[in-house]
Parts: sequence; C-alpha cells; structure tokens
Amino acid sequence: MSNLRKLGDHTHPRTAEGRIMSKPRATGFAALACAAALACALAAPGAALAQTSYGVAMLSDYSGPYADIMPMLGRSREVVLDWWNAEVGAKLGVKLNHKNFDTRYDAAQTASLWPGIKSEMKPIAVLGLGGPDVAALGQRLPDDGIPLFMSTAGYGYAWKPDSWIINPRPTYAHEAAAAFKWLKAKRGGSQPLKVGIISSEASPAYVDIARGIERYAKDNPNEIQVVETIFTEVQPTDISTQVRRLVRGGVEAISIQTNTAAVVATKRALQALGAKVPVVTSSHNGLPASGKAIGGLNQMEGDYEAYGMGIASDEDTPAHRFYEKLKADYKLAAPWNVLTLMGMSQGLYTVRVIEHAIKKHGAQNLTGAKVRETLYAEPVTTAETFGTLPTLKFTKEAPFPVEGLKVNIATITGGKYLTAATNVDTPAVKKW
Amino acid sequence: MIIDFVNYAINGALLGLLYALIAMGFVVIYRASKVFNFAQGELVVLGGFLQWWMVVSMGLPMIVGIPLAFVLAGVVGLLIERIFFARLVGESVFAMVMVTIGLLVLLRGVVLVAFGPQVRPFPIVFPLQPLVIGELMIPTNLLWGGVLTVLAAIGLSWFFNRTRTGLTMTAVAEDHQVALSMGISVKRSIAFAWVLGCVLSTLGAVVFLSGKSLNFLASEIGFAALPVALLAGLESIGGLLLAGVIVGVIQGLATAYLDPLVGGAVGSVLPFAIMLLILLARPTGLFGWRTIERV
Repeated sequence: MSNLRKLGDHTHPRTAEGRIMSKPRATGFAALACAAALACALAAPGAALAQTSYGVAMLSDYSGPYADIMPMLGRSREVVLDWWNAEVGAKLGVKLNHKNFDTRYDAAQTASLWPGIKSEMKPIAVLGLGGPDVAALGQRLPDDGIPLFMSTAGYGYAWKPDSWIINPRPTYAHEAAAAFKWLKAKRGGSQPLKVGIISSEASPAYVDIARGIERYAKDNPNEIQVVETIFTEVQPTDISTQVRRLVRGGVEAISIQTNTAAVVATKRALQALGAKVPVVTSSHNGLPASGKAIGGLNQMEGDYEAYGMGIASDEDTPAHRFYEKLKADYKLAAPWNVLTLMGMSQGLYTVRVIEHAIKKHGAQNLTGAKVRETLYAEPVTTAETFGTLPTLKFTKEAPFPVEGLKVNIATITGGKYLTAATNVDTPAVKKW
Repeated sequence: MIIDFVNYAINGALLGLLYALIAMGFVVIYRASKVFNFAQGELVVLGGFLQWWMVVSMGLPMIVGIPLAFVLAGVVGLLIERIFFARLVGESVFAMVMVTIGLLVLLRGVVLVAFGPQVRPFPIVFPLQPLVIGELMIPTNLLWGGVLTVLAAIGLSWFFNRTRTGLTMTAVAEDHQVALSMGISVKRSIAFAWVLGCVLSTLGAVVFLSGKSLNFLASEIGFAALPVALLAGLESIGGLLLAGVIVGVIQGLATAYLDPLVGGAVGSVLPFAIMLLILLARPTGLFGWRTIERV
C-alpha cells in the first residue's frame, strides 16, 4: 500500500514548494503552460517551426585549373548559404544543406559525379563553376528537374531558350563587347577598335568566348575589328611571336578571358616588345589575380577587367558592407576581391530565388522545378543581392537576362585598383 | 617576309630545345630502367616550386636559392627511388610504369597540399628583354635554355658513353637480372637516374618559367615534350637535340602561318601528327636503339 501511495505521489504534479496539487488545479496549470508555449510559438515563428531541409550541391574545382580561385569563390558562396540559413531560412522554416563536389573543371568528371550527387543530396539547386559543368549537365538537367545556377557569364553554346542553366551575367562576348565599346568611346574617333584575342583550345568555353567576340566584330565592323585570334596552351611557354603579330597589326586592346597564366605570358611578351597595349580580362582572371601571378599589381598598370557584376574596390558599397558582415559574423576568411564577390553574388541570387519560391509555394515539397519556375516569375533585385548584381529579370528566351544588363570596368592606375566605369550598357550580340 | 620566317624558325628551334631539355628527363630515366616516366611534367612543377620556395618564399638570393633547389630536387629523386622503385628491381617494366602513373597523381597532390593551388610568380632568372639582332627578336630565356640544353646533351652523352657509371646504367636498362649477376648495383643505377631526372626537370623549370607564373598546370610541358622524346627514340641523348629542333621549328612555323588560316592551335597538334607518322616508319624513333635478338 505504501508503495502504491509513493507511485501515486510521483504521478501527481507538485507545486514549487513540493506539495501535491489537486486535479482541477493541475489541469489549469497544464492549460496555462500550453497557452504560454503557443504564445511563444506565435511570437517567434521561426524558432518554433520545424525546419525543412533541402540540398544545394556545389560544383567546385579544388584540383584543376581553377583550384587557385576556389578558396575565395567557393568559400564565399558557402558562407552566403550559412548566412541565409541563420538569418532568413530559420524564419521561413527551411535549411539549405550544402556540399562541395570537386569536378576538376572537367566535363567528364562532372558527368560521372552527377548521379551520385543527385542520389546523395536530392538537390533543388546546383551551384556550377564553369563551362565543363554546362557541357556535362546541359542535356540532363531538364529531365532531372534541377536548375544549375552559375556565377560566370553565359556561353554561346548554352544560349538556348527554356534553359535549366542560369547565368546572372550576359555571355563573356557581351561583357567584352561592352568593354571594347567603352574603350572605343574613350579613345574617340569613328574608326573601329582594333582588338586581338588570346584564347586556348583547352576548354570549349574558351573557344566559345573567342567565337562570340568574332561574331560581334563581324556584325559590328564599325565598332571593333579582330586583328587575330591566337590559341595557346593554358600555361604558355612563350608567346612573344604571336603577340608581336598582334602589335604589328596595330591592336589597341588584347582580350584574354582564359586564365591568369595567359595574362602573365602576354604581359611578359608585351614588356619584351616594349609595347603598351591594354589587356582586357574577365572576373575569373582579373587584375588582382593576374597582378599577384606576375609579381605585382603595378605591372598591370593601364589594363582592364570588365564584367556584369559589382567591383570589389575599397569604396563603401552595400556589397562591401555585406562582405564585412560575413567576415565578422560568419567567419568568411576570403579576402575582399572580385572572386569572393563572384561567389557571394552566386550564392545570393540563388538563395533569393529559393526564398521567392518558398514564399510562393510554401516551405514544404519544394522542388527544383518550382525554384526554376519562380526564377522567371519574380525578378531578383539588386537590393536583394546587396548590389553584387544588377536587378535580374530572367525570361525563358535565354539563360541570362536579355535586358538591362550592365557591365562594370576596373583598372589599375598608379598601382591602385580602381573603378574605371560603372553601369556600362551591354551591346546586343547575335547568337553564334 | 623572309625575316619573319627566319624569326619564327629560330624561336621555334629554341622552343624545341626547351622541349628537348624536358625530354632529357624522360630519356635518362628510361636509359637506366626502361621505365617511361609519366610523371615527368610533375617533376618540372616540383622543381619549379622548390625554386619558388627558396627564392621567393624564403627570400634567398637566386645564386644561393636556385642551387639549393637543385640539391633538394636531387634528394626528391633519391626518395622517389627509395620509396617506390627500390622494391621493384627485377619486377616487370609494366609494374614500374604503373608506379610512375601513381607518382603523377601523388606529386600533384603533394604540390597542392604543400604549396597550394595559387598561381605564384616565378623568379626572373633570365633577362626579360629579348635579344634583338636587326629585325630578329629572340627571347633571352629560350636562348639561354638552348645553350644549356646543348651543354647538358654533350655532358650526358659523354657520361653515358664514356664513364663507367653511365655504361653500367645502360647495362641495367638492358636487363636487371643480368646486371645483378655482373655485380652491378641496379638500385644505385636507378637511384642515380632518378636524381638526374629530377635535376634536369628543375633545370627545365628555370628555362620554362623564368619571369612567368607557376602553378601545377605547368606540368603540361611534360606532354608537350613527349613528341621530342619519342621522335628521338627513348635512348638517344644527342638525338633529342635534332628531334627538338624539328618539332620546335614545325610548331613555330605552324603557329605563325597555319594557325591564323585555320583559326585553331595547329601548332600544338602538328608535332604529334608528325611524330606518329615517323613512328609508323621507324617504331624506335629516329635515333632509338634497334634490338637484334638471336634465337
């Protein structure tokens, strides 16, 4: 009997002083506790909602030709997803799990990894790195129903309607054409700007870029004239002979959209020839990276980089402030430069599209197809990407926004990395 | 213009001599062990990074840092032999070749872990200003590289044909078991070949990378040098000079005259095409040893 009483004692709620409550009083307390819990849940919905997790796969190159940029580009896009999970996703009841997969910038490697990525992560979005990802997955993504978000400019061979590959920037040819148009205006006169192209056949993307610029030149003979396109190795031995041909041809700018090694080899050839011809690069082989590879930013004096996203200058911009926040609160170790900004922009517009999709379709049962559908339904504003990108209004006409595209141009003056021009209009380039 | 043609031919020949210098690494290792070293390009990268480490990272003067890098490269060669090849004496050549493929992957990983993937500025060892003779313009690094290649070829030819150590290495390449039965230390010969191969690769890196940028992609020079090694025949040091000049001049002229016409890198492909054609006619290459077997 005493044992039963003890058992009974344990099953009754007690007051703070340890006295056993009567049954009606206990029920009242329970009701109050439930009400308090409910009130808390309503007051802080993010904290109380069960989180739904989705996968976001990241295609990276930690052991191939772009291994040098991955610690900046790769880490910054990871940190953006961490930021979004903590500050946005938590309130929406969604967590984006992310993981890197090393493709070595190799289409075959991307293709072989892809089935495993799908089964492991069941991604609703993939963050790509470059042309090989586009070449490997372009045909598969519609069947898999997963959109591929790039950070780079677009490619001619992927310029197709109803694409599952998304670029926040126009094609490299668009960006280069905008830079050439700006250089021509800066020079003055009506003569076309004489341009040389240094490219490589190591990647289909490199050849594609060269062909795009050539197409623009063909359609716009009053704007630019391509003196010659030179294909070299990705690590050229000596290209003074080829560069000499360009100089003799009277080039006023040399476009290099491959890698930093090609920029360094070209600069050395120009130095050897005593010729001062500005080199125009893109974001992935931009001035700070090339300057570092050649031994000093001052050696890139008078050269340019041009691309359709923000410039990582020291000015106080929303992008710079957001970077400082990521650095302070989310341990982003990458330095403030164009590659970090590139990764940030990629992460930001991807999470914003997913965010729009969650708001439209709800946090449950989100799919890659719904994410892509939302991309076309709602623009991603420049404020949402903290100015890292212009406002992006996608249509099914092309993988990149076809209207309102702008290019920013940076240069080195007096050994300093400065913004040369902002919001330069991108000219129309026909498909090639 | 005729002067352009001459300039393209000279620069091509000098580039070919650089390929010959890289190919010497292939030949030295092959002559001592009958092993075709697929990791030759990675040894060039390693040699390059050792120099970058000594001169740029540690800030040693070039006159101290570069010789130190050569010593370190030799030590690496010795380690490679001790760790991977010492146990394979008497085993099939195929097994050794497979090890060199593994070595390629391993060395790339080691370079990535030890030095990172970043593109590094390589020291300016040779003057950046080209040698200008009238209308001719010759890159200084390639000119010095050509001189070094000829000197290295003369030295190695003498070593392999006139010294006891060199001749024993040739015997080792013929057959490990027979060499052992004659009292020759096979391990020592192979170790010496790897040390020599690594030192030659480091010399190649100086010429190739002087004043340029360095990361692991520089290993592609190993494949660019492949037609030279195969064209010469894998045993001939002197033959490398001629094969290098042939490949280089073809590449230089094709780059100058065919690339603009075709709109592609014909210059990079043509040496391989010509190498294949010559190998069809002479499978041992231009100067490779013909093996006569009596049954």
